[in-house]
Amino acid sequence: MHTTQQLQEIMAAALSVPVSSITDELEYQGIPEWDSVSHIYLITELEAAYNISIDTEDVLEMSSVPKVKAVLKKHNIAIN
Amino acid sequence: MQLYERIAANPRLVYTDASTGQSFRAADRRGSLGLEDARGLALLYIDNTLTAVEVLLNFLDSRFTIALLSPALHVEYKQQLEAIYRPSYIYDPSRPAVAGYAAVQANERVRLFKDTNAAAYTIHPDTRLLLSTSGTTGSPKFVKLSEENLVQNALSILAYLPVSGTDVTPLNLPLYYSYGLSVFTTNSMAGGQVVCTSRDVLQPAFWEDLQRYGFTSLAGVPYVYEMFYRIGFCKKEYPSLRYLTQAGGKLNAVLAKAFGEYAAAHGKDFFIMYGQTEATARMAYLPPADLLRKTGSIGIPIPNGRFDIDPATQELLYTGPNVGGGYAACAADLAFFDGGQVLRTGDMARQDEDGYYYITGRLKRFVKLFGTRVNLDEVEQILKQAFGGQTFACTGVEDKHLLVLLREDTPDSAAVKQLLSEKLGLHPRAFMVKQVDDFIFTPNGKMDYQDMMKM
Repeated sequence: MHTTQQLQEIMAAALSVPVSSITDELEYQGIPEWDSVSHIYLITELEAAYNISIDTEDVLEMSSVPKVKAVLKKHNIAIN
Repeated sequence: MQLYERIAANPRLVYTDASTGQSFRAADRRGSLGLEDARGLALLYIDNTLTAVEVLLNFLDSRFTIALLSPALHVEYKQQLEAIYRPSYIYDPSRPAVAGYAAVQANERVRLFKDTNAAAYTIHPDTRLLLSTSGTTGSPKFVKLSEENLVQNALSILAYLPVSGTDVTPLNLPLYYSYGLSVFTTNSMAGGQVVCTSRDVLQPAFWEDLQRYGFTSLAGVPYVYEMFYRIGFCKKEYPSLRYLTQAGGKLNAVLAKAFGEYAAAHGKDFFIMYGQTEATARMAYLPPADLLRKTGSIGIPIPNGRFDIDPATQELLYTGPNVGGGYAACAADLAFFDGGQVLRTGDMARQDEDGYYYITGRLKRFVKLFGTRVNLDEVEQILKQAFGGQTFACTGVEDKHLLVLLREDTPDSAAVKQLLSEKLGLHPRAFMVKQVDDFIFTPNGKMDYQDMMKM
C-alpha cells in the first residue's frame, strides 16, 4: 500500500520544501526549489523508494504531482 | 573594432524569443534605452530573455562599465553589492523599487533604476565588464575584463568552433556566466539566429524548441551532460545539431566517452573545452578528432593563447589577449586594470608527448558544484558568522559535494545544510556534514585539508 503522504514526503525531501507545499497544482519550475538539480534527485529517490527504474522519456514527463502519479502507475504503483 | 560594432556588422544575426517567436535585429533595438553618452557602472541582473538581451546590447553600445549578475541572487546580497559599488544604473525586473534610486521606464519593456545622486568615482577606461567568479556566495569580488578581452576571446573561439551565419543557437546557459556569455558574443558576431530561452533541458518544451527552430549546437557544463545522459539523449537523433560544446569543469570519463562516441557515430563534433572567467572564458579546447584518443585531456591552447607549467608547483600558467585585468572587491578597484599578465590558473597540469594538456589537481580552495565555483574559505566564513563564531573546515569532494567538518555536536547536520542551501542557493544534498574529534593542522598552523579528507 502506497500512500499520498509517503509520496509527498519523498517529494518534499527531494525538492527541499515543506510537505504542505506538495500540492496537485505544483509544477516543475513553478517554484525555485523544483529545478533541474532537485528534479534529478527526485527521480533517483522515487526509483529507490519504489524499487523501480524510470524510463528516460518519463524523466521529462514527471513535471507535476498528478504526472508523477501517472508514471508510478505505469510501474503498477497506485498511490492512494 | 569594438564588440558592439562587430555584432551590429553581422548581417545574418537575429534574436528570437523561443516561447513567443518574437524577433529583433540588433539595429531594431539600437539606442532603445536612451542611455546617455557617459561613463559609470551598471549592475545588470539578467536572465536569458529577449528583453535582457536588449538591455545587454544597449549597454554594450554605451560607454558604461557593465557587471552581469544572476537575477536569482539573494536580495540581501544584491543590496550589499549595490552599497559597495554604488552603480549609476541597476537593471533588476524582480524588484519594484531600489532605495536611493529612481525608477526610469526606459521603454515599454525595460525599467531601469537610476542613481539619484550619482557618486562619481574613477573607472579605468579598460574596465568594461565585471563577472563574478562565485555565482552564489554573493561575494563582491569580480573579475575585470576589457572590451579587447571580450573581442579577442570571441575571435579565438571562432577560429576553432564551426560557428556560421546559418546557425540557430539557443542561449541555454546563463548570460552572467562566462561560458554562457561567450556563446552569446561568438554567435552574435558570427552566428545567425540566437534563440533566447529560459527553458531548461528537463522541460519537454526545450526539446520541442530544438526541433521547431532547428538548433545547430548545444552548450553544457558537466551537470547538463549528466542530465542529457539521464534523459536518453544518446539514444535519439537530432538532425539539425552540428556540434556540442562542454566546459565549466571536468566531464567524467564515462560521459566523455559516451558523447564522444555518439558524436562520431552521428557525424557531429563534440568540443571539450577548458577556461576560467579570469581569461574571459576560454583557454583550451580538445579538437573533436582527438576526443577518443585523448580522453581526459583539456586539449591545446586556443589560437593566440599559450600554456606554461610552473616547474616548482606544476601550476598551469596561461598567457593570451583574453586574460583580464585582475579583480575588483570594491568601487576603488575599478580605477585599475592590470592587463597583460600571466594568469596563474590554480590548476595543476601536465603535458603529454603530443603537446596535449591534462589537469592533475587544484591548488586553489574552491569546489565546482553544478558548474559554479564555490569558494571554500568564503563558506567557512559564512558558517562561522551564522553559528556563533565556531570554526568549520570545508572541502570539496570530487566537484560533487561540499564537505563541512565541525568539532562540536551543534549545529546539527540538517541546520548546516539548510543554512548553506539558503545562503548559496544550492540544493541541500550538495552538502555533506561530518563531526570530527579535532581538525588537523600543518606545521605552520594552517588547516591540513588533505589529511582531514582521509579521516
